[in-house]
Amino acid sequence: MAKKKKLRLIAEMTRKIRAYQELKSRPRESQKYALDYETMTRPLTGKRLPVLAWQDVRRESRLFSLLAGLRLFGVGRLFTRKSWLEDHSEPSYWQITKVKVDYTAENMDHGQAWGILTYKGKVESEVKEVDKVMYHDWRLIPKHMEQQIKEFEPLPEPPVRYVPYPPLLRAMLLAQQKKAVGGSAMTEEPALPLQRNVIFSKDYFRRQEEERQGKAGTAV
Amino acid sequence: MAASMFKRCLNAAVKVKTFSSCFLARRWLLSAAYTDSKAWEAREKEPQNLAVLANTMDRTYERNLPVSSLTLSRFIDNISSRKEVDQAEYYIYKFRHSPNCWYLRDWTIHSWIRQCLKYGARDKALHTLKNKVQYGTFPDDFTFNLLINSYIKEGDFKSASFVVEEVMLQEAFDLPSTQILSLYALGSYLATRPQLTVSEERALGASLLTCGLKQDNSLGLSAQLLGNAFLGKVENLKGIHAVFKGMPLFWGRGYLGQALAVMERVAAASGDAKLSKDTLDYVSNLLQELESASETDSSGEESEGEEDKKKEDLLDEDDLEEQAKLPEYVSRFKELSTQLESQGKVDSTSFQDLVTVLAQENLEAAEKLDMEEYKNRLQAWEAERRQLIQREKELREKLKKKPE
Repeated sequence: MAKKKKLRLIAEMTRKIRAYQELKSRPRESQKYALDYETMTRPLTGKRLPVLAWQDVRRESRLFSLLAGLRLFGVGRLFTRKSWLEDHSEPSYWQITKVKVDYTAENMDHGQAWGILTYKGKVESEVKEVDKVMYHDWRLIPKHMEQQIKEFEPLPEPPVRYVPYPPLLRAMLLAQQKKAVGGSAMTEEPALPLQRNVIFSKDYFRRQEEERQGKAGTAV
Repeated sequence: MAASMFKRCLNAAVKVKTFSSCFLARRWLLSAAYTDSKAWEAREKEPQNLAVLANTMDRTYERNLPVSSLTLSRFIDNISSRKEVDQAEYYIYKFRHSPNCWYLRDWTIHSWIRQCLKYGARDKALHTLKNKVQYGTFPDDFTFNLLINSYIKEGDFKSASFVVEEVMLQEAFDLPSTQILSLYALGSYLATRPQLTVSEERALGASLLTCGLKQDNSLGLSAQLLGNAFLGKVENLKGIHAVFKGMPLFWGRGYLGQALAVMERVAAASGDAKLSKDTLDYVSNLLQELESASETDSSGEESEGEEDKKKEDLLDEDDLEEQAKLPEYVSRFKELSTQLESQGKVDSTSFQDLVTVLAQENLEAAEKLDMEEYKNRLQAWEAERRQLIQREKELREKLKKKPE
């Protein structure tokens, strides 16, 4: 064995203090997402917004700019995004349930929000954090239009179609089945479903992150 | 106080006689029982020293600790002079910019507006209401009614329409009393024939539209028509984005088309619904103005190349398409107005008179409901306040016990 490692207690303490100070000096939402409308740059990082977004940034508003002017910060109201309105014909909207405002912002313009998403007419069951809150893309659905938008019923999904496998793969599958069964019992034709089961979705990665964070705990 | 209120009503009655002669003086506003502050004053109060409260709040803010909503409400309850109203405004601002901004209570805002009205600081109340983002003033319906009523009594219809605009921005046209009061304020303001800027027109149009959608009678339909016409004018001049940005309005183009659709619905409907004549006149004036504006635009185009570029920044291709539809709208409007006249669905009473009639019929019943609702709400607020005081006491006792 090599010589005993020295117990560097002060270094350990310094490391903890530095991690704590880093935690405390994280930039607030209002500082991170502040924007200079003349030059289209973020003052914190100095980065410029993509050109295709400039027109939207000038014309539309962020979610919290709309929430700041509503009672109880718009809890229970519906909000759409202009990009959804353009891309999908079925209505998609967020119903806000919880709001955490960044009170250091001058116009209460930033923060985090949670709500229930209805994407393309399909209502989800869980409350999730609202994605892309700081995008200049949001529109409030006025109360007299809420009923009209909620009443939309999505069409039922068409049944999954099945298609025969390519010949070599089919032969391999049949051979495998024959070996497993161990006889010449007539097995049914293997069919390939024309449906994509997405395993690596955004939800999956988010859950992985949360589990990892839960196990590791905080840095300090 | 009763004598001065009576005098005010007489003065207002003189003004009313120019519009409609046969209605009584006091019935078309909120009755004295509604605006009476006896029930509010009768609740139990805690006399606190304002300087002490201010000191505690300053110290808590310096230490970056959250101030409880109870402290703020105590401060506002114990205001006793005009200067203290200004100080309270500062503390409301600070509270809104603290981590506890969510917990600003309804009764705090209600008492703030009551105190402002009591000490003659109505412009302060209007200022906090307009900057509701910075102060967090989101009054409930009863408070809005009180505020609009106080402005109507003075005859200050411009400020009353500002308050109605705020009601529209908060989408609080739920109670029939609020709807009647706001339509009255808007009607009176329009009857004075003011010079309106584009943003004022937009606000008026939006308030008329949202209020009119709630009423199912000829008054509501006329309001919807006028509102759609105003918004269509703004859409024509500045594009659809200038219409719905910052307002709870639908983003679909074609507000003038919506106005004509209202007229078609009235023409096709079999019931008693009519449109008042002066709204139709107003809309035809508007359309003529727009037509002449677009003609001068097209003739002056060659000389002003730079201004065109600026306009194109604001207007999309879709907006330009809408502009091109204007002559079509004008011709359809003429057709529909002649059709309505032939069907006898044009009411010769003015907008103002329609509101007054409706107020006479429905205001009493609406007021009674409101007052009962207000009493229940007062009790609920009292219960909540006692709960908060209890919680504060328990917290203090816990803190005292801790060092032992």
